[in-house]
Amino acid sequence: MRFNWKIGGEAGFGIMTSGLVFSKIATRSGYHIFDYPEYPSLIRGGNNTYEVNVSDDEVHSPKWDIDLLVCLNKETYDLHKYRLHEKSMVVFDPEMFEPEKPFIKVPIGFTKIKKDEKIDQMMVNTIAVGASVALLGGELEVFEKIIHQQFDKKGKEVVDFNLRLAKIGFDEASKNSVQKQEILKKKDVVKTKMVVTGNEAFSLGTMAADCRYYAAYPMTPASTVLGALAAWQYKNKMVVRHPEDEISVINSALGASFAGVRSAVGTSGGGFALMTEALSYAGIAEIPIVVFLSMRSGPATGMPTWTEQGDLLFAVHGGHGEFPKIVLTPGDPEEMVELTLKGFDLADIYQTPVLIVSDKFLSESHKSAIKEVIDKKMNEHVIDRGKIVSDTKALPYLRFKHEEDGISEMLIPGKKGVFYQANSYEHIEDSHTTESGEERIIQVNKRNAKTNTYFKNHFEQPQIFGELNDAKTVLVSYGSNKGPILDAQKMFPDSSVAFIHFTHVYPMPQEPIKKLFKRCEGKRIIHIENNSHAQFAQLLRMQTGIDLKEKLLKYDGRPFWPEEIRDYIQGSKVQTDKKIQDNQEMIAPEMKEEKLDEIKSQQEQDLLSKLEIFSKDSD
Amino acid sequence: MSDLSFDGYAPTWCPGCGDWGIRVGIKSALEQLGFDPSTLFISFDIGCSGNMNDFINGYAMHGLHGRSIPTAVGMKCAHHDMNTIVIGGDGGIYGEGGNHFLHACRGNHDITVIVHDNMVYGLTTGQVAPTAKKGFKSKSTPQGIIEVPVNPLALAITQGASFVAQGFAGDARSLIEIIKAAVTHKGFSLVNILQPCVTFNKINTYQYYLKNTYKLPEDYKSGDKKEAIAKSMEVHEEKYPLGILYREEKPVYHENIPQLEAPLVTRARFTDFEPFTSSFV
Repeated sequence: MRFNWKIGGEAGFGIMTSGLVFSKIATRSGYHIFDYPEYPSLIRGGNNTYEVNVSDDEVHSPKWDIDLLVCLNKETYDLHKYRLHEKSMVVFDPEMFEPEKPFIKVPIGFTKIKKDEKIDQMMVNTIAVGASVALLGGELEVFEKIIHQQFDKKGKEVVDFNLRLAKIGFDEASKNSVQKQEILKKKDVVKTKMVVTGNEAFSLGTMAADCRYYAAYPMTPASTVLGALAAWQYKNKMVVRHPEDEISVINSALGASFAGVRSAVGTSGGGFALMTEALSYAGIAEIPIVVFLSMRSGPATGMPTWTEQGDLLFAVHGGHGEFPKIVLTPGDPEEMVELTLKGFDLADIYQTPVLIVSDKFLSESHKSAIKEVIDKKMNEHVIDRGKIVSDTKALPYLRFKHEEDGISEMLIPGKKGVFYQANSYEHIEDSHTTESGEERIIQVNKRNAKTNTYFKNHFEQPQIFGELNDAKTVLVSYGSNKGPILDAQKMFPDSSVAFIHFTHVYPMPQEPIKKLFKRCEGKRIIHIENNSHAQFAQLLRMQTGIDLKEKLLKYDGRPFWPEEIRDYIQGSKVQTDKKIQDNQEMIAPEMKEEKLDEIKSQQEQDLLSKLEIFSKDSD
Repeated sequence: MSDLSFDGYAPTWCPGCGDWGIRVGIKSALEQLGFDPSTLFISFDIGCSGNMNDFINGYAMHGLHGRSIPTAVGMKCAHHDMNTIVIGGDGGIYGEGGNHFLHACRGNHDITVIVHDNMVYGLTTGQVAPTAKKGFKSKSTPQGIIEVPVNPLALAITQGASFVAQGFAGDARSLIEIIKAAVTHKGFSLVNILQPCVTFNKINTYQYYLKNTYKLPEDYKSGDKKEAIAKSMEVHEEKYPLGILYREEKPVYHENIPQLEAPLVTRARFTDFEPFTSSFV
């Protein structure tokens, strides 16, 4: 079973909060979820939506068809009706609009309840979620528990008020004659599930990796990492800073790393652009650093709240000059925790930058994950700092001593009688500046040797999902595309489709990858990527000589839907497009100006009543 | 390297360069305070000034042009028991790194920023610096610079620095005392050092500074912010006060971070993840 619940309303209506609450109701009722929010780069106004794909088994991506659409304004309906089907339910406010046939209509008098209960728009969400729970056969109690957890610290009055609104919504929908579904019917919860985004998974991994200094300048879609870690810092003792710009962010992190603490920074493409000079410094001075890069649609400001994998090659090539760098591309929150833990180890072991690359889709979509799986990864991880030491017997101490594996002992500053520099100039073994050709070659070779050591000890082959030998079609991708591809693969009942998922994208050894692709000879290989330049295909060709000819690329700011991938494999490329057309023809668009005015005046009323309450309070 | 002396390699500065005097000032101050190279973080900027990285020893970073302040801020946050000094030039600190400078003043980070202010870019062979007088002719401003000079002293005082001083490279004896006071001051300290560039600046010479500088009188009260700002404005009339213009005691950046009781680098690893993971259920 896959059931897609979607709620929409104006930015500022609290859509994001209610979406997350709905996800948790589903997981606590025993189901898996994958959710996906969409919002414009605005704080008020504009349409926000949140969709939750509820499933019996593990689910990795959104679903194209909307099964229940909750409209807190008419725009939600107008913008999303093309994804509805005949059996879709539509929750709407009869005072705002009425949907055309043939959807299953569920009128809820939000405006009336709002007036009767004297509540503002934010609280309408609680009614909407309560109604959804009733329509989908869920238990109100599950929702009530969440309300308690959310509001208990705000006092009994607030809790009771929210409980009442939830019940009003629940009762309103229960009264409706529409056939209730059993989507949220409570099951025994065998294994506790977390509802976690890629950014939250990175934050958890960062804490478990013993990162002690995190700096970032706010930039969507990486900002929520800064928010989470900043809130946690007083408990977990990390120092979390928001400096004046991304240049200060990374240079301060390099300072902290030089001083001996694990350090990381987070940003999106524009901020990463400002960081690249310092990345190059970390390369020559051999300073460990973890950079979290969450991509969004570029170039420049692009579409700031939408997804794209447009910075992969930039990540790989970021920084002037030649130095080793490791780029990892996790595909889901579980992998994010795992690769974040590994990333911090790799940064220390190789004393060089490690990039963990995400995108808006992975960073901000929640997935349910079995808690004990995440706990195990975090609790059992043994930290490996490689050759970073707090004391040394090697005297005179040579910070950049030539070693076959390319890695010299790095002493944490503080030992009496010893000193050295992290020199951005080329240097000799003891760290003093040099311009000697011979010394230059020694140091360049030393740094380059790290790549081979990495191939031997830490590079991981791509993961293969399905049976490569039986498959007729092989999908190739990396990062966040993993989710939609896995769900698309399941739409083929036999083992005709296999999937090669890359997480260790740079550097990549040629021979083992060539061997892997030899096994695919004669099969249809489709490269799937969320950008227009097929950057990973270029990267693969650059590193291994493998040239993937058939490409499925998407760059409209939206992630792949599994249905799109399925349709493409089946050769019916336009099915989802066609569906859009069909639906649009079926439903005559209707948007009355006067209704829009009504919505606007409602908002003004909300604001006025808030001001009224405020002035009463201050009396 | 293991050594207790601050002396690194023999400097490569031009004969007569003000950097020589500044190096004597820094080295002597550190020695007189009883430091040795392993007790000290130094963040060197890029330029003739930053090239002191090879001539003065310490646990040092010789990073990127303009970025020596953020690097030092990070070092200090990670290990606040270490004394932390920034050594840079007017270009790096007030030009390329101007943004970092003003924000570090605001934060009152417990670091000492020593700036070689010679009004030109020496290492790139004589372009104008942000402290140069309006109209100064250089390789990059053949008809004279259009902008008015940055006023580092006024900028620091108004943006929250808790120690602001000015020294002269030709007066090493006074410089030693100023640097000692700056390094022992708790909070953000700026020492702007007027320094002749004998190769590229033929206007602001030793003679020029001997004529235009004056020592703050003994009864000067460095705790008066208004007075300090008034003094700092005198540079626009080519009168350069020498000494400690402004000093105040206030909590420093790392003291405002409750989790920094013990230095970040030495505390035990945090492992109680359960409250965090369970909040996602």
